[in-house]
Amino acid sequence: MTRGNVFQFRAGKSVFHRLDPMSKLIWLLGVSLLAFGAYIAWIQIVISFVILATALFLARLSPAEILKGTWPFIAACSSFFVIQSVTLPGSTIAFRVFSISIYAESADYALASSLRIYTIILSSMVFVRTTDPRDLAIALVTQAHIPYRIAYAFFIALRIVPTIEEEIKIIRAAHAVRGVARQRSITGRIGEMQRYVIPLLVGSLRRASMMVMSMEGRAFGAYPQRVFVDAPRMRASGLVISISTIVAVVAWYSALGLGYVHPIYVFAPA
Amino acid sequence: MNRTLPEVDSLQAEQDARVVVALSGVTYTYEGESAPVLRDIALTVTSGEFVLILGPSGCGKSTFLYLLNGSVPHILNGALEGAATICGKSVAETKVAEFATDVGMVFQDPEAQIINTRVRDEVCFGLENLCRPVNEIVARQTEALRLVGLTEFGDRSIFELSGGEKQRVSIAAVLAARPRLLVLDEPTANLDPAGMAEIFAVLERLNREHGTTIIMVEHRVDELADKVSRVVMMDRGAIVFDGAPRAAFSSRRVVHSEEAVVVPTASWFPQVSEFAIDLAAASRCDLPVDQVPLSVDEAFALASNWSMPAEAAAAQNKPQPDERQQGTPLLSIKSLSFGYDRNTPILRGVDLEIQSNAIVALLGRNGSGKTTLARMLVGINSAPAGSIKLEGRDISRLSAREIASEIGYVFQNPDHQFVTDRVDEEVAYSLKVRDFGQEEIAARVDEVLEIVDLHRYRARSPYNLSLGERRRLSVATMLVLQPRVLVLDEPTIGQDHERAQLLMGLMDRLRKRYGTTILMITHDVRLVAEWADRALVLRSGRIAFDGRPIDLFADDGLLSSTGLLAPPIHELSRRLAAQDPARGLRPVLSSGDLVSELAASRAMAMK
Repeated sequence: MTRGNVFQFRAGKSVFHRLDPMSKLIWLLGVSLLAFGAYIAWIQIVISFVILATALFLARLSPAEILKGTWPFIAACSSFFVIQSVTLPGSTIAFRVFSISIYAESADYALASSLRIYTIILSSMVFVRTTDPRDLAIALVTQAHIPYRIAYAFFIALRIVPTIEEEIKIIRAAHAVRGVARQRSITGRIGEMQRYVIPLLVGSLRRASMMVMSMEGRAFGAYPQRVFVDAPRMRASGLVISISTIVAVVAWYSALGLGYVHPIYVFAPA
Repeated sequence: MNRTLPEVDSLQAEQDARVVVALSGVTYTYEGESAPVLRDIALTVTSGEFVLILGPSGCGKSTFLYLLNGSVPHILNGALEGAATICGKSVAETKVAEFATDVGMVFQDPEAQIINTRVRDEVCFGLENLCRPVNEIVARQTEALRLVGLTEFGDRSIFELSGGEKQRVSIAAVLAARPRLLVLDEPTANLDPAGMAEIFAVLERLNREHGTTIIMVEHRVDELADKVSRVVMMDRGAIVFDGAPRAAFSSRRVVHSEEAVVVPTASWFPQVSEFAIDLAAASRCDLPVDQVPLSVDEAFALASNWSMPAEAAAAQNKPQPDERQQGTPLLSIKSLSFGYDRNTPILRGVDLEIQSNAIVALLGRNGSGKTTLARMLVGINSAPAGSIKLEGRDISRLSAREIASEIGYVFQNPDHQFVTDRVDEEVAYSLKVRDFGQEEIAARVDEVLEIVDLHRYRARSPYNLSLGERRRLSVATMLVLQPRVLVLDEPTIGQDHERAQLLMGLMDRLRKRYGTTILMITHDVRLVAEWADRALVLRSGRIAFDGRPIDLFADDGLLSSTGLLAPPIHELSRRLAAQDPARGLRPVLSSGDLVSELAASRAMAMK
């Protein structure tokens, strides 16, 4: 028994767990577009809070899980924020740190950029944690009309990732027992991965061949189409979320295009 | 009685319809290989038969099964010769998917064959591919889950299931298509005894009550022998025996292992059949085939009515009490608790001491914490300070290399441990990273390769060895450091009994030579009975039993709560002892010991 990956589906009964995958995919794409399009810090703060609230209340992720899954990104985004705040030019001095002037414009832009990355990571985590890869694959076939063989290939790839991760952990443990020290440098890590390749390849090929035999033995690919007993369908809640997301994206980019956004950009560079 | 021509034709057609498998002169060679893996196979299986395939690892059993649904030659490419017809369809001309309603295939590892993440979806998968109407799919899914006793499990996640339950889902997933033939490749290899019993009960019900034809490869014969109707034995790709189970287990033959070593077929006989053969040999008489027992009940009846000649009884040696020397304390574990998070503790307050020069078995259900505990001993999982001491030294203060010098760990899959491209370099690796001198390295490598009988392959790549050889090499890589403790993680999984015996024989030699303590994690109670001095049983992260294997097998309540089964010979000896306490019989763990006990009892009665 080992720790589960936080970026992996876990069954649950939250609002987001009950949503169909296509609605969640539209929501994820919409949030990403909004995050990319929003260059003003306070708007990014609002978006980030909305996503955080979604993660906590609609997807029922605990604060500890969110922190565990996103701490490397929090660290990276914080560093990004500091570097940009210090290096970007500006005209309004917000404050000074050891004689370095921090400009309001650069801090505003840096905060917006950093939160943008974090928002996308967090929303992706919400999507992955609440969406069964099988349901996503079926939704791609039934709602997006992607050929089922391709959708299943995608699903199997997602399904097999945790198994491979688990096998890498076992190989690493087996090598540690042999006295192989963990490498810290990039070249060392590459060398380490090279040692993992053969056992990993042998195991993956064996598993892949079993999976192919298991699937074909149950008539997978026998017909151009297949039936889905439990295909996820977009319900009213999914429709509301999808339409709201699309409206928000269209409204934001229209406002941008029509020049309604810039006037509310308090710290716009001169 | 004279029959008319139409009557003869009709009988012939009826007989043909009953034939599920018809193979004649089948030879198969994998693509890129020169030697065939199946040789001139001829076999006919009719509807309702339950066929057990036996043979040493590498004899072609699995390839034979893959032929039955066309995976050979259509997925695993190669050259197929001869005539192979399954359920009236020619294998050479029929695609695998077209066999889906005729043949259901269940593999060893449920993790590798289950595609979906929810039970219901997995069971519906085949019928969805066959584009059956939704109502029919739902009805058949319900029926299939009922057949395997998982009626309420439809909405459960696959990840929440035990190994036995997962394997039952795999069986339900193929049963949903109502195949005429069910083919299983060691379906219980990864399961604990309770999971194994679940699967065998399902198969027996399917065969007896529903007439499903079953062909199965399985090493755990003790619990299966009285359920099958026919036994086929294979040797180097050919069928060397085909007959009733009693005939199969009535006399010892020899076959050949992957490494061309002679292997006695008796190594996969049920323990009760082996006992009957030993009893007949000790009595200096022949054992009629129809008296070969296949279950404890039958063996009990045989032994109860058996009369050993007085002179034969007198000639038997009395079983000697085990007088193995108690070793010195080596490992001390105190109040050890561990979990990956606070809400799911895996180990809870484990206390135990392990002596040197001992073979200790660590048992328990899947998920009871066995592997976690063993991995803490070698530092793969960090132990809390002061909880594990190796000869008084706190393991949490030792580096990984320091621990590895004293405690070796042989993983389930030997391939995971290899780090070089040559057998001798593989063995030398652990010494090189610890800066041993060249002469010392050469001497130790030679010695260890000699012990594991791999010196002739020293220049080969580890990946070019057979599975048994790779496992010996993985043991050698640990041995070379002369560890005080060697942990074996499931040494029998995917191996036949003979190969497991060879490995344990090697462990026993190590113990005698170096005083090494062997800690083996296993579900194989027969192995425990034959080799272990001591058994530790974990239940929900706590030590539920710590003592002699014979005392463990006497505790029915404990066995039941920990999903273990007593070896048949222990069950038999216990029943014989209880039948007539005045005979002075004691419960024992081996066939030879039981024969000796019976002889001693007979000799005493003669006085």
